[in-house]
Amino acid sequence: MSPATQAPLFVREMGLATRFGLYLLICLVLMAMDARYGAMSIARSGFNAVIHPAQQVLIWPFEFLRDAGGFFAVHNDLVRERDRLLRERGELQARLQEYQALQGENERLHTLAGLPSEPGLTRVPAEIIRADQDPFTRKVIVNRGSLHGVIAGRPVIDEAGLIGQVTQVFPASAEVTLLTDRNQSAPVQAKRNGMRILVSGMGNDSLLEVRYLDLHADLKPGDILLSSGLDGVYPAGIPVARVLQIELPRHNPFARAICQPLGGIGQHRHVVILMPEKRQ
Amino acid sequence: MNVIGKSLGNGTKPLIPQGEELARPPTRPMVLASLAAAFMLTLLPWPEAALWLVPDFGLLVLLYWNIHAPRLAALGVAFALGLAMDASHGLLFGLHALSYCVATFLVLMLRRRLEFFTLKGQAAHLAPLFPLQKALVLLLGLAYGQGQADWRFLAAGIVTAALWVPACMVMDRLTGRPARLDKVAGG
Repeated sequence: MSPATQAPLFVREMGLATRFGLYLLICLVLMAMDARYGAMSIARSGFNAVIHPAQQVLIWPFEFLRDAGGFFAVHNDLVRERDRLLRERGELQARLQEYQALQGENERLHTLAGLPSEPGLTRVPAEIIRADQDPFTRKVIVNRGSLHGVIAGRPVIDEAGLIGQVTQVFPASAEVTLLTDRNQSAPVQAKRNGMRILVSGMGNDSLLEVRYLDLHADLKPGDILLSSGLDGVYPAGIPVARVLQIELPRHNPFARAICQPLGGIGQHRHVVILMPEKRQ
Repeated sequence: MNVIGKSLGNGTKPLIPQGEELARPPTRPMVLASLAAAFMLTLLPWPEAALWLVPDFGLLVLLYWNIHAPRLAALGVAFALGLAMDASHGLLFGLHALSYCVATFLVLMLRRRLEFFTLKGQAAHLAPLFPLQKALVLLLGLAYGQGQADWRFLAAGIVTAALWVPACMVMDRLTGRPARLDKVAGG
């Protein structure tokens, strides 16, 4: 038996209460340092790098089960899916040509007007590997990190619209705070009339809100909200939300609009991180 | 008749560890490995909609060792496990560490008393501790300005409390502790 498992005959250590007090103090100092100065991000990303391999191993059986389920897909479904994808690809290629023409024209106009041209975006595809058990923020972990060139602050989208923003980067993974988090908001513009507003999360996966809306603002249920690009974080023109209903003010002078996010928050496994293109 | 060497008929615990418990005392690797396994359980890809119900396996195993091997798993281990939880779940550093230290401290204070209770009696003593730990995490997070707390997470504390008895049985099996006295003595 190792000596550590036995109680010492003569106590030569601090009492339980003293040790407890000491640990409490350390915890409080750590929390203050982390909350005020963000001093712990290096320790956090280091620790995550260490446990990442173990986590990958843990996730593996679940992925295997999912893949095994997919193996037994019906032939008909596959053919139908392929036809649909081919059709979509044709449409997208037509739209891409249009887009390239527009981009060329845009470049020319920018040079004519003497404005610097805006950098394009590269897309880093990523897969959601885990949702974090955090009672304060809505966030997910994706399997792309600083090794793949991801940096904090970049927007994350799926095929339908905006999902959120990269908030922390670890070596092989990154933390994405979802748009539906209460502390997240995005500057948007109504597609119909160009009105600029802010849309914020409600802490609920399927709803967003416009918190302080003018009583007479021209916003109707069904309006599509696109990102306006004014904050310099989200590029302009990404679909964000659809207005569901306008709530008239009851206790305060502002109306409130309830919206539905267009991106499939909490549904998809694959997302795209938008990175600025390196310019020559 | 050697009274010290045998379990007493009236259900009280003998003063000296008996049988297998004497033969296989908990060791440090055993404690650390079980804590690591419990910690890894919390990192599994749990369904996103039910995250607020996922029990805190780390805390269960920590308190188990606090009761059965307090010389091996006390405040230091609670602190380290808490930091690991905070780092891996992207929470404020020290949030779980503090709440685990509080839980461990309370259990160590109660330990002498808990030893004389059956598994159910222990569960009744410990039941309030799990939601209390979650409430502490939520309140501290609020105090340090972490934004809106999702109070549904208190439910995870209740789920964890409900898992105390099965968790103890599993841990007893895994660590080779003998069946408990309440079963040996027939009630």
